[in-house]
Amino acid sequence: MSQNEMERLMDERLRDSVLQALAADARTASLNLRVGVLGGIVHLGGSAPSDDDWVWAEMVSARVPGVRGVVNRIEAPGAPSPARAIHLDLL
Amino acid sequence: MGNAYSAEALALSESQSAARAQETLAAVPCFANLPVHVQEAVAQVATHRHFDAGQIIYLEGEPATALFILERGWVKAARMSLEGREQALLFLKPCEVFGDVAIFTDTPYPATVMALEPVEVWAIDKSAILDLVARHNELAVAVIRHLAGRVLYYVGLVEDLSLRSVEARLAHTLLSHIEGDGDRLVVPRRTWTTFDEMATRLGTVRDVLSRALRTLEQEGLLKVERHQIVILDPAGLATRGDQYD
Repeated sequence: MSQNEMERLMDERLRDSVLQALAADARTASLNLRVGVLGGIVHLGGSAPSDDDWVWAEMVSARVPGVRGVVNRIEAPGAPSPARAIHLDLL
Repeated sequence: MGNAYSAEALALSESQSAARAQETLAAVPCFANLPVHVQEAVAQVATHRHFDAGQIIYLEGEPATALFILERGWVKAARMSLEGREQALLFLKPCEVFGDVAIFTDTPYPATVMALEPVEVWAIDKSAILDLVARHNELAVAVIRHLAGRVLYYVGLVEDLSLRSVEARLAHTLLSHIEGDGDRLVVPRRTWTTFDEMATRLGTVRDVLSRALRTLEQEGLLKVERHQIVILDPAGLATRGDQYD
């Protein structure tokens, strides 16, 4: 297996873990959030009913072992635009 | 959980939808010369989608489910570096195709694509486009041409980011977006062309970009106006854009 394939497999597994964590959490389970993972960085999309939920979904994702950072592009009232330029302080 | 698009398809009848999709396809440079029956076959499987400004079309690292053809509005493709810095890869205008790299490499989307304005796109499911490419040689060649064009674009981007100074990158980028405005040459500033957006395209931060613009302005190469950048000396700007670090 090449290094690229190995990294892709690790990202796929991490994505599954993040989706499971979001599905297991009472506040995020019904939000149907979108998740992408590349290089250990989680990208969140979809919509949430409040900015509290927006923050919460990011926290739930960030707690998953192996996550290096979370790019929060969830739409929510009062939350910043999903399309803004984002720079992260990685975990 | 997962891949549901946040925007709903507009209610168009099937025949209206196919005709409009075919009209868009005919305006896409890489698809314009396809035989009509191939354009029709592609249009038949295209689904119309609308996204508001700021909405995400797909996320970096999300499983690739569709290829998109942009009918109206501008979108941005951006990728997060391993160091956590956002790099804008592409700003796409109507009649451009995106999402194809992931579809044809069978990998997740390599970048996040977001609507910068209200956007109308045609989505073609992965299985449908793979089936069409297998059945129509002309479409396969058109796709190869498009992907080859992307390779050349990214070679240029790598050269830009790794070898040119910020001033040279800025000069080079401005020249590639130049438009005529009467007897003047200008680069229009769209509502979403903020300093932050321009900085992510040039692989820098807004303060450095701001200084680079001032430098080029002081050299008499351009003039920054509220809604556009006027190019005063295109030859001088080209020379500046060709300078390597």
